[in-house]
Order: sequence, then C-alpha cells, then structure tokens
Amino acid sequence: MSVALAPHARTYRRETEFFRATYYVAMREIRNLIRTPAAFIPSFFIPLFFFFVQSGSLQRLAERSGQVTDYKAFVLPVAILFSVSNEGAGFNMVTDIERGYFDKLMLCPANRLAVLIGTVGANFAGVLFRSLIVTAIALATGLHFATGIAGILPMVFLASLWGLVFAGIAMAVAIKTANAQAVQGSIVFLFPLLFLTTSFAPREAMTGWLKVAVGYNPITYILEGMRSFSAYGFDATRIAKGVLAVLIMAPITMGLSIAALRGRLK
Amino acid sequence: MQFWQSTGDLPKYFARAAARYDRIPGHMYAIEVEGLKKVFGNVEAVAGIDLIVSEGEMFGFLGPNGAGKSTTTKILTTLLRPTAGTARVAGFDIVTHPHEVRLSIGVALQEAGLDTLATGREMLVLLARLQGLRGGQPHKRAAAMLDLVGLSDAADRRLGTYSGGMRRRLDLAGALIHGPKLLFLDEPTTGLDPASRHAIWEEVARLNREEGITVFLTTQYLEEADRLAERVAIIDHGRIVALGSPTELKSEIAADILTLAVPEESMDVAKEALTRLPGLKEIQSDTKELTLFVTGGSSAIASAVRLLHEVDVTVGSVKLSSPTLDEVFLRATGSRLEGAEQQQAETDGKKRGRKEAS
Ligand SMILES: Nc1ncnc2c1ncn2[C@@H]1O[C@H](COP(=O)(O)OP(=O)(O)OP(=O)(O)O)[C@@H](O)[C@H]1O
Ligand SMILES: [Mg+2]
Repeated sequence: MSVALAPHARTYRRETEFFRATYYVAMREIRNLIRTPAAFIPSFFIPLFFFFVQSGSLQRLAERSGQVTDYKAFVLPVAILFSVSNEGAGFNMVTDIERGYFDKLMLCPANRLAVLIGTVGANFAGVLFRSLIVTAIALATGLHFATGIAGILPMVFLASLWGLVFAGIAMAVAIKTANAQAVQGSIVFLFPLLFLTTSFAPREAMTGWLKVAVGYNPITYILEGMRSFSAYGFDATRIAKGVLAVLIMAPITMGLSIAALRGRLK
Repeated sequence: MQFWQSTGDLPKYFARAAARYDRIPGHMYAIEVEGLKKVFGNVEAVAGIDLIVSEGEMFGFLGPNGAGKSTTTKILTTLLRPTAGTARVAGFDIVTHPHEVRLSIGVALQEAGLDTLATGREMLVLLARLQGLRGGQPHKRAAAMLDLVGLSDAADRRLGTYSGGMRRRLDLAGALIHGPKLLFLDEPTTGLDPASRHAIWEEVARLNREEGITVFLTTQYLEEADRLAERVAIIDHGRIVALGSPTELKSEIAADILTLAVPEESMDVAKEALTRLPGLKEIQSDTKELTLFVTGGSSAIASAVRLLHEVDVTVGSVKLSSPTLDEVFLRATGSRLEGAEQQQAETDGKKRGRKEAS
C-alpha cells in the first residue's frame, strides 16, 4: 500500500488553518475532559458544596445584619469564582508535554498559537458549562437571581473569562516547567487572593489595610460584577469594572504563556 | 608505523572523512546542515555538525546515549532552535521557514507522543486534520495508515491500552498520515522485541525503496544502521566522527579485528608486548579486553599469543573478525559503542534498561 497522498488531497490554506486547528485542538481537549470523569465530576461538587455549606451556615446571620438581603445570591458568585480559578488547563498541558504529545502538536504546520488557544478555549467551555450547572442547581434550591434568567449567562460568562486569567498562569508555568507540582504551586500561591476580596463580607463592613488591599485586587471587581447580576441588580458601572479587570489581566497572563511557548524552542 | 597510530591524528583524520561529501551546486538536497550547534547551559549537545542528505536517501545517524541524536533531530524538525549554524530541510531554512519545513516532513520522535485518552483512529484523524487534510480524507487516511502498520483491529481502542510496540507503530502511522516525502525517525526500534524490530525495519526499507521517501533515522544499534542505511554518520559527544556508507567505513579500517581477553592486572604488560606485533595498525584496550587492528589475518593470532606468552600473560580468549561499525566507532572515539554487547543480548530476546538522557 502506498502512503503517498494524491496531489489534490491536501490543500493547505494558511489563512483558515489557524481556526481549524484551534477548533480541533479544543474538541480534543473537551473529549478528554469528558473521558476523565474522575476529575470532571468532582469539579461540580466542590462549588456546590461550598455554596450550600456557606449559605447554610451564614445566611441567617448575614441577612440579619441588614447589609445583604439574599445571602445565597451573594455567595453563589464566590462559589463559582473559586471553582473557575483552577489549574486544570495547566495540568492537562503538563501531561501532554510529559507524554510527548505536545511536541506532536508542535510538529504540525498549523500556527502553534492555535494549540494554546484551543486548549484555553476548551477550558473556557468546560468552566462555563460547569458554572451554568452549578447556578441551575442553586436556582432549583431556592436562590433568587436578581436580574432573572437573562442575567445568568452574562454572570457565568464573566466568571469564565476570569478563568482564562488563571488558565494563562497555569499554562505558562506548565509550558515553562512541564511539572505538575509547579503548576499546582503557582495556583496555590495565588489562591489567597481569592480571599482578599469581598467574598465573605461587603467592602463597607471592612476596615484598615484589608479594605485597601481588597480595593486593589482585580478579583474583587470580577466578584462585584458577577453580583450585579445575581444579588444587587443590574449595575453598569460595577459590571464594566469587572469586564475591565478581565481585559487587563487576561492579556497579561496569556502573554506569559505565549512567552513560555516561545521560550520552549530555545 | 601508520599515521593514525599517534592518537593526535585521529580527530583530524575523521574530521576529513566526515566532511567528505560531494555537494553539487544547484542540486536539491533533502537535508543540508552546516556548522550546527546546540548548547544547553554548559552542555554542548551538538558541537558543530555538517552533513548532506540527498533526496531518496536512507541516512543513518548512529551514536551512543547522549551523543546528540535527538537534539539534532529536534532542531531539524523545528522543535528546537539551533544555537549556531544553519540547516535546510526540504529546501527550507529551519529557522526562517519552519512552517514550510513542517509541511514537508513526517516525524516520529524518540518518545512516541500519544494521547492516551484517544483511540488510535481518533488521534490519527486529528493529526490528519492538523496537517491540512479535509472532508473525508482524514478518516480515509487514518484507516489506510492503521492498516499499513497492522493496527486495524486495535484502531478503536484507547491508546492507553496499547503495548510499547503498538505505540511505536501508531507513531509511525502518525508520521506518515499526510504522505510526507521526508521522514525523521528517532530510534524507531528502541525497546522493541526482535520481531517488532524486524517488522519496522522492513516497512521503513520499503517506504524508502518503493516510495522514494527520504529517511533520516537515528539509532544506537549497529545492526540497524548497517542493515538499513545507505550512508551512516557516527556521532559522539555532539560531533560527527565518521561518515560514509557502512561498507566504505568498514573498508577504511583495512584491517582485521583481533580481540584478546586478558586479565585486568596484566593489561598494561600485554599492551606493551603487543606493540611488537607484525602488521599491527592500532591497539585499544578496556578493562578486560584488548582490541587490535591487524593485517595478516590468522597468522596474527599465533604471533599475538606468542608475544603474550613471552611476558607470561595468559590469554582468556582470542577472536579474529572482520570489522563492524563498532570498530569504526572504536577507532574514531577510543571506546566501544555503549551497549553494543547488551544489544546483542537484546537481539537475542532480552530486555535492557535504557539510560535516559534528561
Ligand atoms: N533540554 C535539555 N536541557 C539540557 N540538556 C539537554 C537537553 N536535551 C538534551 N540535553 C543534553 O544534551 C545531550 C545530548 O542529548 P540527546 O538527547 O540529543 O542525546 P541522544 O543521542 O538522543 O541520546 P539517547 O540515545 O539517550 O536518546 C545530553 O548530554 C543531554 O543530557
Ligand atoms: Mg535520543
């Protein structure tokens, strides 16, 4: 049997190849996500667990303070944000690098950025899907969503965009070190930032350095933007600030992973 | 005394041999490498190599662990950038036109890079798509290549369940999926049992012979280089120490190989005594063996034994043989190709732990 390819069988069009490659890499990533249920299914439970425990234990107390009206709607964005801030994209990339599969992708003529974007895109889709399910379950158990059904998708979308910021860091470390511990370490290192926000109490209730630190933390603005949909009611300024935080941070961390990819060739 | 008996001349002699290629101006070469270097920190993995591979040639790149084979392969396939030097693959510069290079080559690296969660078919279809095949082509090609490497029955099983030999074969199928005219294979048979090794040899030889595919194949097995390659570059510590067809390289030795097992403590005495051997071209020793490059064939055996008897050295065993690539390597580097003996054992069906270059 001949391995030669008929001359017309392969028409490589560079302009469209980037999008095709991104799409196929993303689909492969999603398929693998589904094929590792041991990692995929727990990722649903953790935010749900957080949501129910947190709201169950603090709801009465918080609502009695008068500063929040619906504590469940206040805490849901926190649960979602915690769950999107993970190292999943980096972990998968480390595995691919270790197995030599990443090199296999790099050997394809498609633009190498397509591999990065495809991976990130799949991660984004996974996070979005998970956040929607978590929100749906929260709704089913009596959460009142301030901006109604129409507000759910934008809130989840904002959270997932923030997930890209973390994915960018995780992937940069993954490509740079090809080491799962390092990837996990980088996220563990950043995790405290999630607490330096209005995650558990509104900013008005804080004092001193904490209040200042919280003001400088971009995650605060993501969270507040999300809460505009779930708890406070539509607030264009808050939402714009959240979007801005992503628009500033995502290019930085994505840039880091692109730089890491370039460095890999050296 | 022959000129190479003074070791000072050896590097020069082989440098000349290595540079001996006929570059025809205007001719299209599959691979052209000039002064290629790669430095990692303070390790000089590739220390300046020159070589030319013609279209349709089967080129062997033979060397021990850590010689720089994989690094060279990765540079030529655009996975690494060279520290210095230039290379053109399929007529394109690897640094300035990596995209065109990647479009022209098929690559199976030393580590078969497989997606263990995908099935064999899924992975090949994806690779075909990423190579620019569209419509029904990826599936058609995947099926054909699975058939080619004899994996049709396992096509829809996840790669995680494949054996080592199956993984190698799937990797080869992946390298061929887009019908490349130039194939890079980095140690395609390392770790395979003799039957699988022979199957790969046959297939690679066929691809080269019947389909005119140019093959750049690295190996640490003498037998593999000897059997498959039309020309071999022997690489050690990042340098090409010999280059030519296996027959040419062996005939350059122009001597028989006399191997004597000698007790370790008598090694120096024995070596000294044997310098008086008629027809001796060169002598090399390791801890328990003396290797003599001699002319005069079997008469050398008697003379050698007599010389050793005179100095009271008992000879364990004596062997006279024609030179192999191992002696070419020995002559060029002063040591035997690492694992040459184990390789024999492995060919006999035993497994050997491989030192990993990290
Ligand atoms: N990424 C790297 N960083 C640092 N050193 C490296 C790197 N890659 C290779 N080396 C070093 O370069 C040298 C050549 O390695 P290379 O993998 O090219 O050898 P090889 O001939 O393929 O060996 P093997 O037969 O073991 O596969 C070795 O000393 C190795 O340790
Ligand atoms: Mg190697």
